[in-house]
Amino acid sequence: MNVLIIEDEKSLGLEIAEYLAKEGFIIDMARRKKSAEEKLFINNYDFILLDLGLPDGDGLDLLKQLKELPNRDDAVIVLTARGALDDRINGLEAGADDYLPKPFALSELLARMHAITRRKHKLEKNEFKVHDFTLNIQNRTVSFGRERINLTKKEFEIFNYLVLNKNRVIPRLNITEHVWGDILEVNSDSNFVDVHVKNLRKKLAQHAPIDWFETVRSIGYRINI
Amino acid sequence: MKLQHKLALYNTFTKIAVIAILGVLIIAFIDRISTSNLQQRLIDKRNKLVSHLSDEEIEELLNKQSTFTDYNILKEEYIELNEVSDNASVNTAPVFTKEKRKIEDETQDYLVLANYFSYGGKTYRLEIGETMLALDRLENTIMFYTLIILLASVILTLAADLAFTRFLLAPFYRIIDQKLNKVDDPIHFNYDYAHTTTDDFRLLDSSINKLMQRISDQLLNQKQFITNVSHELLTPISILRTRLENLLNQPDISEENLNKISASLRTLNRLKAITNSLLLISKIENQQFNKTDRVSMPALIADIYEELEDRIASRNITFENRLQHNFGLTGNQALLHTLCINLINNAIKYNKDNGKIIISDNLTNHSYQLYITDKGIGMDNRQIEQAFNRFAKFNATDTESYGLGLAIVQSIAAFHDISISISSEIGQGTRIGLEFKTH
Repeated sequence: MNVLIIEDEKSLGLEIAEYLAKEGFIIDMARRKKSAEEKLFINNYDFILLDLGLPDGDGLDLLKQLKELPNRDDAVIVLTARGALDDRINGLEAGADDYLPKPFALSELLARMHAITRRKHKLEKNEFKVHDFTLNIQNRTVSFGRERINLTKKEFEIFNYLVLNKNRVIPRLNITEHVWGDILEVNSDSNFVDVHVKNLRKKLAQHAPIDWFETVRSIGYRINI
Repeated sequence: MKLQHKLALYNTFTKIAVIAILGVLIIAFIDRISTSNLQQRLIDKRNKLVSHLSDEEIEELLNKQSTFTDYNILKEEYIELNEVSDNASVNTAPVFTKEKRKIEDETQDYLVLANYFSYGGKTYRLEIGETMLALDRLENTIMFYTLIILLASVILTLAADLAFTRFLLAPFYRIIDQKLNKVDDPIHFNYDYAHTTTDDFRLLDSSINKLMQRISDQLLNQKQFITNVSHELLTPISILRTRLENLLNQPDISEENLNKISASLRTLNRLKAITNSLLLISKIENQQFNKTDRVSMPALIADIYEELEDRIASRNITFENRLQHNFGLTGNQALLHTLCINLINNAIKYNKDNGKIIISDNLTNHSYQLYITDKGIGMDNRQIEQAFNRFAKFNATDTESYGLGLAIVQSIAAFHDISISISSEIGQGTRIGLEFKTH
């Protein structure tokens, strides 16, 4: 899948690119509105990550131009440090598929991209094989063989998030932000995530060994596939 | 004392003084005129008497006794004539005196003309008296009416002065009320000029406007600065966060470095939370949120419980929802959510393991009160005082707190006109009260 990263901060663009490249995305980058325009007119992308505050213009204009092009179905995720509610509303009204306020977690970006893919194209299979387990995103269930494992909503969310970001260490904080939302001040301690992970692991381990479900001491978790 | 009353008093006193002086002058003037009139009359009478005198008459006058006294029926005037042996006083000028005389058991003030003259080799003393009763009466009447006029004018002018100064000063109080008392935010100051024809008040008005303009400019600058700084910080934080996240996933990274990266990520998260909190506070203070959502209190509390139930469970805290009223208000849903979640989160954070949190409410005619009570560690008076200071932390060991939670709570409460009360006792717990005015 092709991704165009429109971001004027070079190092931020490069970090995003590095993360996504490992997931097999093909990355294209633009740091100015003008060069972004050129690339947009020439190529089709599966994803456009759009920073609104560009040095030579407003990213929202780019979004509007893109939406005027015929036969385009590029998914757009707006990235902005403005953080204002207006930006979010304007971005979504102008046709963005999602909105991520800076500073965001790369694991969150990836999860959003997966969600958009499922929603828009319905191409990606709704089931993931996680060793002997099957994760169904559509029905939000996890099963072992034919046996359904009874997970709580939060346990499923955590499992799903770790599976989407497989083979990576995901800090607890990223999980908290994803499952509970970004609540100011409130997220300062996220140890209660452990309780859910403990229960999740217990439920999974009843069926098969789960040594692929790693606890990275004092940091977070990793699911190796 | 109000200026209005001072002015009225001053006017009253000056009027009393003017009228009193005038009254005294008039009385003195009348007294002089009538006295000299009276004197003239006495002299005329005496001349008339003396010029018409004859031996027979004197004989007749002095016939009966050595002294002759005569007075008319109303005792308004009298004549007294007697013979004196001493003739030294002859030809002296007539002397006027004011004396009390008793005539037939009636004492009156008389203006008396005493005069010596010689007639036929004998010296006589002639005394003509004229009563001063009429004069006194006139003076009394004038005095009485002066007093009446004085009183009437004092009352009238006092009332008129009060009414007029009230009218005159009305713009002044309007300016004070609208421009100073009712202003809680210089940014939303009403710069319309108060209607007045008094130049002094116009000056006051425009001076206040100018002052407010300066204050609000500075405040806006300051707020804009905080917004800009916070905003500019978010991009570098973003870069660092993504970079650290990528580093975390480098192959062959040592556990030591992993821990360092993780610690850096936590520090960065703290920076992010502080920045976002400051941004939020300045946005609330800049009134960048609308207040048009219909918010139901029980639903809000239920939502928050759902979000926080893991934290509550992890410390084995009992959460008691004792809400009795289905209270709703118009405000900003997201902000009210943030307000309550911060308070309830504090109630969890500063609680004891196996502790208790009680949510209760009370509805009166004018307000709705929501209470968040915890049986936690509590605060002392000094801590309560400092509770809403930015960056104040209560518990030194609590390194995960950023000290901005209550500052956010306070600005959201101010934005919605909610008053907050704290009562707390060390070791017993804390009760936070939110009072929503219902009018």
